[in-house]
Amino acid sequence: MLGFRLHAQRAPDPEPVIEGVVMRLEDIYEIDPAKMEIIKQQDMPVWDTLRIVNSRWDHLEWMHDHFADSVLSADDLGSD
Amino acid sequence: MSSVAITDPIVGELQDILGNEGVFTNKSSLYNRTRVPAPFPVHRWNQLIPDAVVLPRSAEEVSEVVKLANRHRIPVVARAGGTGLADGALPLRGGIIVDVKLMNGIHEIDLDNRTVTVGPGINMLKLNEELRQHGVFYPDDPASYPCALVGGRIGTSGWSLIGSRYGHTRDLVISMQIVLPTGEIVEVGDGGGRKLRKSSTGFQLKHLFMGHQGTLGIATEATLELVPRPEAEFSAFFSYPDYDTAWRSTGAMTKSGLASLAGVVLFDEKKVDYLRRDDEAYIPQPDNVRCVVASAMYGTMDEVKPAAKRLMRIARETAANYLGDDVSQGDWASRHDRYATPLHGRNPDGQVVPMCWHCEDAAINYTALPQVTREWHAIVDRYIARYGIFDDWGMFAYTSGAHKPWGDYLVEIDVGIWEQKLNEDTWAAWVSCKREIAEVALKYNGSITACHGATREGDVELVPGEMGGGFDVMKKIKRALDPNNVMNPGKYLLDQAYDPEP
Repeated sequence: MLGFRLHAQRAPDPEPVIEGVVMRLEDIYEIDPAKMEIIKQQDMPVWDTLRIVNSRWDHLEWMHDHFADSVLSADDLGSD
Repeated sequence: MSSVAITDPIVGELQDILGNEGVFTNKSSLYNRTRVPAPFPVHRWNQLIPDAVVLPRSAEEVSEVVKLANRHRIPVVARAGGTGLADGALPLRGGIIVDVKLMNGIHEIDLDNRTVTVGPGINMLKLNEELRQHGVFYPDDPASYPCALVGGRIGTSGWSLIGSRYGHTRDLVISMQIVLPTGEIVEVGDGGGRKLRKSSTGFQLKHLFMGHQGTLGIATEATLELVPRPEAEFSAFFSYPDYDTAWRSTGAMTKSGLASLAGVVLFDEKKVDYLRRDDEAYIPQPDNVRCVVASAMYGTMDEVKPAAKRLMRIARETAANYLGDDVSQGDWASRHDRYATPLHGRNPDGQVVPMCWHCEDAAINYTALPQVTREWHAIVDRYIARYGIFDDWGMFAYTSGAHKPWGDYLVEIDVGIWEQKLNEDTWAAWVSCKREIAEVALKYNGSITACHGATREGDVELVPGEMGGGFDVMKKIKRALDPNNVMNPGKYLLDQAYDPEP
């Protein structure tokens, strides 16, 4: 179970995205650690970050399904 | 009335009514049923706890508890999910908390007459999970949808995110069973008939028992509206380069007459700035995304599809830029998530600090939205500069008319408060800030609150002014129904109902 060890799955160094926001993993935004001196950022292994992000998508999918049978996109509407 | 300490013999009487398992006096049970999600004077927490908590299972048990409270002149405060933002469930003078969470049954589903009858402790999400197998839906959708309970929605006269299509709590509760402040159990609706939506018999008592913040009784059962489960959902988020363009586009969409339009919400520039801090939908947006308008539709596929085409056309004609399916669908599905605000707050140095969330809400007409927006931000900016523990999280304006998405709006300014820094001085500053915000709403012929209630300090002082002669009627009703002032005393300035005549 090496994947459950923090040192085995440390995320890459952060790259700036916009003022106050960085990115370590594709499409996963984090607050710039420089803004987190009072509240320290939690050190997390990649697998745990991905678990949280993926469960978020599960949650959104569940909420759509809870409220309606189907979700229409703009493409589904056809042209005027 | 003044607070009366609950003694061991009274606890014994409560146990005779509810059994030992229905009465709690331990510290965690008491403290956990005081806290509310709105900014809370944590420095005064120990002054705001009840003496006992009871968990009844029937209207008869609630009635007996209320009768006991009258005999001993003990305050009674009803509590459901505890998610309200106006302190309705917060005991100001100790006494007994009547926690209705165990009264969470579904008593009857009537698919022919399209009603469901439930206990006040049921949650809407759990109710809809049960209703799904029948192809029906109870469409009361607050931001607290996963945790709010039907009883609290009645006590608050709640507001729904999809109310422009389906109505709000007052429109969706057909009738109720109420335990009055003297312990009698009565049925109230629109006239008689538990499942009738319209009657002209007698006074319209249902509305009297909506939004009273626990001052006039405790709902022990409710018969609710059922609608067909929506076949289709369509949500569309649009961006704009400035507020005025977004405001005009909002007006055009809401006046479209599209019956499936469930809600339209305008995020102002400061709200978008705030969302760019840590929201995955807004961080990647280009700088010309200054304001956003979100919309959502529900109904049958045959309704929603052509209506959505029309809505997209109106948006294009009013300079809207569609933000795409991912943002539109994802952000709409996450509409409840911002209720529990995590670490979005920033201190004046830009550092992340743990802030609680205050959303000051008002009911405002469309034409007043731009001016109210400017004046509210100016007020909050002054308090941020002076105290350093507040943070402006922006404003939104959300269609508020039931079944009619035009004309009036729920308007909110969201303010972060560094709760750990609260003391008497900073709490007083916050109350003063709230009062200034509410005064602006009244200045523009609005109402202090469209959604939460106006029982908190900073709001409640202005209620007699907003209600005018109606406030005297409120006091007369309170005194007539609650002669001993046991039902949530101290709320809504209703102690004035018991002042000696001059």
